[in-house]
Amino acid sequence: MKNNSLEKLKKEYMDIPIPQELDFVVKKALKESRSNSTTMAAKGRFRKAAVVAASTAACVAVLTIGVNTSPAFAKTLSKVPIVSSIVKVLTFREYTVDEGTFNANIKVPEISGLKDEKLQSSLNEKYLKENEKLYEQFVADMEDMKQNGGGHLGVDSGYVVKTDTDRILSIGRYVVNIVGSSSTTFKYDTIDKKNEILITLPSLFKDDSYVDIISENIKEQMKSRHEADDSMIYWVEGVEDEGLVELFEKISKEQNFYINSDGKLVISFDKYDVAPGCMGIQEFVIPTQIISDILVSNEYIK
Amino acid sequence: MSKTDLEEQIAEHVIEFKDKYYRLAYSYVRNADDALDIIQESIYKAFSSLDSLKNPSYIKTWFYRIVVNTSLDFLRKRKKEIVVSEVFLSANDESKYDSYEDFDLKAALDDLPPNYRSIIILRYFEDLKLQEIAEILNENVNTVKTRLYAGLKKLRIKMNDENWEVSK
Repeated sequence: MKNNSLEKLKKEYMDIPIPQELDFVVKKALKESRSNSTTMAAKGRFRKAAVVAASTAACVAVLTIGVNTSPAFAKTLSKVPIVSSIVKVLTFREYTVDEGTFNANIKVPEISGLKDEKLQSSLNEKYLKENEKLYEQFVADMEDMKQNGGGHLGVDSGYVVKTDTDRILSIGRYVVNIVGSSSTTFKYDTIDKKNEILITLPSLFKDDSYVDIISENIKEQMKSRHEADDSMIYWVEGVEDEGLVELFEKISKEQNFYINSDGKLVISFDKYDVAPGCMGIQEFVIPTQIISDILVSNEYIK
Repeated sequence: MSKTDLEEQIAEHVIEFKDKYYRLAYSYVRNADDALDIIQESIYKAFSSLDSLKNPSYIKTWFYRIVVNTSLDFLRKRKKEIVVSEVFLSANDESKYDSYEDFDLKAALDDLPPNYRSIIILRYFEDLKLQEIAEILNENVNTVKTRLYAGLKKLRIKMNDENWEVSK
């Protein structure tokens, strides 16, 4: 009787349908993990984040040198009376694919109204390039899947204006990849509308000590969130001690961030960066008092 | 063995046995999208923690362990939602009357605490040895044995109870 029932159960278990996407998901995950681990030797889980951060940093660096390293320039500007800001974000272009199980919806944002045209066009060019690349990748993956007997594939990309005050404009661009499961990444740009400056994370602080101070605070927040609700899992010492994943140690210098409408610094992590995928995007609001000593000024962060 | 060789071995292993790992993940989360998510995440985890693989001949148990842990993490996170959806499903699912017997036993298996259920699945459905299961779950063999028998006993007792209810 017992064995009989177990056999039945086993049959049912073996009959669990295998979705077409499995092969694709496995190969893609392998490809991503492996190419990362051969290009950057040092870090495990954060390799991927580091690559993204490094390339963003590279393209932001070019324009920040001109605009952002000159506080004197910023000061002169701020003395000039400026007509109230008309900086806006609009959808510049849309890519859509709708072929049965293949769906793409990509919206490219465009900033207008900045007087500094160099800053404006370099941001807009960056947005356009990112999305062109995304679209090309999607089409390539789609063709690949079609040849392998089809499947489901989706990409949804767009932007949200996180903050739009008299002073600050924070735009977040997101990419959601859906292959049975989904992955989401977010990238932010924060602009000082009055001085027309692209704000980078290092530019907010007097020195590099912010990396450790903020990281420690985030670890504490992770632990207290976990204590308050044990279904909140983070890959941080004291919560995940299985030794199976690389634990969160510190943020990168160019960590994704934005400034919210209360003037608080918000640090953002992509899905899979610091927690299991089911936790999604993770954000941490950093209490201003712990960084007030090292802030260059209280102009943006209050 | 160089790191790339090891990676190659793991990749080959995962591709070859992907169906097994998928079924295992599915048996926890009962949903194709989530199971795919777990497989994807398990692969990321595996490659970010190559150091925890002491010996290449343990790839199988090592990867099973990652899949089991990732699934459990997922369930812990989803615990609250599941309570609602199961009530909802059983109230709306008429198909259970089609195969009543199977449903009975399946429900009994689903009812077992995850650490008992894992053992039964790994032992009887995946045909793993007790020693291997002990490695996967990071328990000693005796604990696994005890839980296996306790699990089977629970299943039978539950089935008997159900039968008794039905025949009454």
